[in-house]
Amino acid sequence: MAQAASGRSRRVRRAEELDMLPVMNLFCCMIPFLLLSASFLQVTIITMAQTEGISSSGSGTVANLARSEEDRLQPKVIMTDQEMFIGTVAGTAHVCFAGHEIINGVDAVTFDFDSLRRQATEVHRLLSQAYPQIEFHKVTILTVESTRYDNVVQAIDACAASGFDQPGLQVAPSAAVERATAAAMGR
Amino acid sequence: MSAPTKRHLPLLLGYNKSKAAIRGRGKKAELTLTSMIDMFTILVVFLLQSFSSEGQIVTLSDALTLPQSHSENPVKLKLEIQVNSMVIVVDGDPVVAVNQDLLSTGNSIPALVARLRAHMEYNRRVRGILTEEDMMINIQGDIAVPAILLQRVMSSCSEAGFMTQNLEVIKVEGGGNRS
Repeated sequence: MAQAASGRSRRVRRAEELDMLPVMNLFCCMIPFLLLSASFLQVTIITMAQTEGISSSGSGTVANLARSEEDRLQPKVIMTDQEMFIGTVAGTAHVCFAGHEIINGVDAVTFDFDSLRRQATEVHRLLSQAYPQIEFHKVTILTVESTRYDNVVQAIDACAASGFDQPGLQVAPSAAVERATAAAMGR
Repeated sequence: MSAPTKRHLPLLLGYNKSKAAIRGRGKKAELTLTSMIDMFTILVVFLLQSFSSEGQIVTLSDALTLPQSHSENPVKLKLEIQVNSMVIVVDGDPVVAVNQDLLSTGNSIPALVARLRAHMEYNRRVRGILTEEDMMINIQGDIAVPAILLQRVMSSCSEAGFMTQNLEVIKVEGGGNRS
């Protein structure tokens, strides 16, 4: 073999090249398959506790509220058109005032659910400290008739993040709820 | 300017090319696949993450928008009620039209209770015995429906014997924003 005067080979060494074509082929097969079987929208569920009806006069509300009182330690998130409260056996606290937002061209009532999450966490902590033998999971969402469904779900979500992951729903006439909250807040 | 002669033609064909390009004409051109492989790798990882072997077992109606939630409980295939501001649909059949009268009281809805009871009775006859699983029902509600309508639907489900009511929601990830 021809060598240079220095004794070193003049042959140029080339780095081996990887053949990427099989990888490309594999990817080209995988991508359509994965695209077809991918689910970009995941549907989950919130399991609700049973609910019972009320009449337009609000008589059912009284029964429901009374029944809630039997389970005295269970907190209640109360949503009216103007305000949101969280109520426990120890009393009722203001959470936030209602705001307004245009959703799909409609003026909708919204609330500050971060405030609810903070207060519900505090309520859960206090209840767990006061009654360590009880595990607190239940919460009741008490709303007026016109409350939007997404507000109900967001309230349930905020409560679940605080540890109250067994929600129930009660709907009462505005007048009955406002009367009850005004009395509870001493207004 | 006179027309080019045959002798000048090869020179004219290479007029705009550099000398280096003309010299390397015999070499084989190669595609650089590295960047494409990078992109495909990212795409495959993303698609693998959203891969679902179960598929979508619920059918979402175009007439409603489900609310978003952080709930992680997977949906099970059960009898479905779809509620929007115009109609209540059970298992694909419109049962009750939503009007102002329907939103004025909070009791169960008789037509809906009858339809749900019929479904329950059918299940009882077919299977002989009803398990707890048979008493579950999924509710798809539009984000804009008022709470009173949802409460009436849930109340009707309870009255018909569907003890467990599940609200279907769209899952949002960790700190995801609701839109």
